[in-house]
Formats: sequence, structure tokens, C-alpha cells
Amino acid sequence: MTQTTTHTELPTDPHLRRYGHVRDLLPGPDNPTPLVRLNRVTPPGLDLFLKLEWLNPFGSVKDRTAAFLLAGLIERGELAESQLVEASSGNTGIALAALAALAGVEVTVTIPDGIPEEKKTLMRMLGAEVWETPDDLCPVDHPKDGAIALARSLAGSETSTRYVMADQYENQDNVRAHYETTGPEIWRQTGGQLDHFLAGLGTGGTITGVGRYLKEQNPAIQVIGIEPQPGHRLPGLKSFQEAKQPGILDWRVVDQVIRVDDDPAYDVTQRLFREEGLIVGPSTGAVVHASHQLGPGGIAVAISPDSGLNYMSYFAERLGDEGHPTV
Amino acid sequence: MTQASEIGDIQVADTLDTSGLLCPLPVYQAALVLKKLEPGEVLELICTDPGSLEDIPALARQRGDALLAVEDGNGIQKFWIEKGGDA
Repeated sequence: MTQTTTHTELPTDPHLRRYGHVRDLLPGPDNPTPLVRLNRVTPPGLDLFLKLEWLNPFGSVKDRTAAFLLAGLIERGELAESQLVEASSGNTGIALAALAALAGVEVTVTIPDGIPEEKKTLMRMLGAEVWETPDDLCPVDHPKDGAIALARSLAGSETSTRYVMADQYENQDNVRAHYETTGPEIWRQTGGQLDHFLAGLGTGGTITGVGRYLKEQNPAIQVIGIEPQPGHRLPGLKSFQEAKQPGILDWRVVDQVIRVDDDPAYDVTQRLFREEGLIVGPSTGAVVHASHQLGPGGIAVAISPDSGLNYMSYFAERLGDEGHPTV
Repeated sequence: MTQASEIGDIQVADTLDTSGLLCPLPVYQAALVLKKLEPGEVLELICTDPGSLEDIPALARQRGDALLAVEDGNGIQKFWIEKGGDA
């Protein structure tokens, strides 16, 4: 006699970390990214936790932004018979490429020149078209914002294909992503016991969304933005001395801006690898370096936006032959 | 710069029509075509965004190309750009 087995579909169960679809891995208050305390690369007297956004399914904090941007465009019917275009230093492009591929939408990403090959290859592997754009491509009107200008011109031009720009710099869905997910996650994970929140300044979506949420819970929480120097090499961050300020950045929720140089940011990144076992990108090093300027005492949460794996070519350049003797 | 009467004498290697495209898209597309040309070859570029009157000369300066001639009339801008030796 033949025995038959009936198959029932196993449901998604985040407690078992079993998911029916990669989209179910996207973070939210019930599926938060981890908060991890720094134990060695720590400013004196400050209890600093990193929120490890690189453990998101597509590898960065921008998974949240991309998910909200794409959902908004689809809900409003703006993507009908159109392709998506977005300006990105890589992480939004990667997350959008992955999510758009799942939704059957074609994507073009305009990126500044100098972005690591790892990120460009990731976007291309996910099926996106990648247009590399010198920042000063259009020196007359768009100094240092060539990729953004190019994406906007593609969306605004009369072309045979209709392009719609997600526009993470101006789209409030970017802020909403962090107001509805990152902010509540941090509040819940710390039990409301935090004094400082630190995030890099780029589109302004993270600091505005999280900062607004946290200040609504406790106005005493200090929200600190980290800004690089002009001509920096810290992808994802923007110096507003050379780039236009994004429309979604709400300075009312930012208490302090700390400017960081590239070298100490990369030095701290290396320390995070070696002393904390954290494989982080250079913008995390920038944020942790900046936290050393805070006074002693209190609990701080800092965003660790992405993984160091996407910057191996940068790191190899800085290491030279260190740890790799050759004959 | 070449006079209008002499424009017909320019030997063009490639023509790019960016009509309807807004800056900096014509700049980007022109840069891609120029990259493929040999030094000394000439690109004829057609634009309809008035911003190109500033952006295209800036592109040529930046790349080290020679802007041989410019025509502007009836909402159409035409540029003849000779690729530089090191660009």
C-alpha cells in the first residue's frame, strides 16, 4: 500500500526566523534589526549601541527607504507602464533594484563616480542599469549633484520610455520609513532609555524620521547629525558645503551637527573590524568617531548603515601590503 | 570659433540628437558619444534645452575638447565638438 504525504505550507514565523518570502525579512517594530553595544571602541563613559542595518535583506538601512518609496509609487499608480529611475550612492539603488525586480519593474540608477565596484556590480547583478555620473557633469546648475540632476532630467525629459523618479531626497515616504519603523524599533529596543541618537547626514530621511519619532516620545533626546568634509570619500554621507540640502531634511529635529574627516572615520572603521568584530562600512566609522565628541554619561544609539563587504576595494587600497607580505 | 558660413565644411563623425531631453541628459549622452570618438573627430550635437548653451561649452572645456561652432535659433541649439587629444 502506498502512503501519501500531505504537504501543508509552512507559514512565516519570525520567532523561528522562517520566512515565506524575502520581503518578509524587511524590518519593522516586530522584526527589528539588532542593537549591539560597543565594548572596546567606546567613548569614555558613554554606553553606545550600534543598530546593525546591514543585517537587512538587501544589506543596508536603505532597504527601509526603498520599500516605502516603491510601495508609495505602486499604491499611487505612478509606475504604470513606466520604468523607475533613482539617484543613489549605491545602497538605495541596490535595495530598489532588488525590490523592483521582485515587483517586475525595471530600474535605472544614476550614481556619482567613485562608487565602489562592489556596489555597481551588485546593482547590475540585480538587473538594474547603472549610469555613472561625475558629480560635476553639469557644472553650471548642479555642482556636486550630477547623479541627482541626471535622474531628474531623465524623469522630466520626453523619451520613448517613461521614467518615474523615486526621489529619496524629496519624497516624504523616505522619512515615513524611519518614522514608522526605525524610530519605534529604537524606542522599543532601549525601553525608551536613550539620551543621544546619531546618524549620518545624506538624504536626511533617517535623521528626520527617527529624530521626529524619538523627540515626540521624549523631547530631551539629543539628535546628532554627522556630516563629512567637502571632497570626502564616505559614500552615503553628504557635505552640505558642496551638495544641495535635501527637501526632506528637517533641521528642527537636529540638535547638533558634528563634522568628521575621512582619515579618523576609516581608522575607527578598522578598529570596529578588529576590536569589536563588526564588519561595517566607513560611514559607521564616521558616526562612531563623532560619538567621541559627546560628553560622558548616558546611552546613545547610532545607525550602522551598511556592511564593510561593499567597500573591500576601498579598504584594500588603504591597507596596502599590511598583513599581506608578498615575495 | 568657426563662422556660420563655414559650418558646412566641418567633417562630422557622428550626430547626436537630444531634442526633448533636459539638461544634464544631453551632456551625459554627448560625453558617452565623445568617449567613443577618436581624437580630432567631430560630434554634431542637437539640443532643445536652452541650458545646453552653458552646459555644453562647460563640458567641452572640462574634457579638453574644442567647441568649433554653435548655432542657436528657433528653440534649437547645435554644437560641433572636436574631441581633444587626451580626452
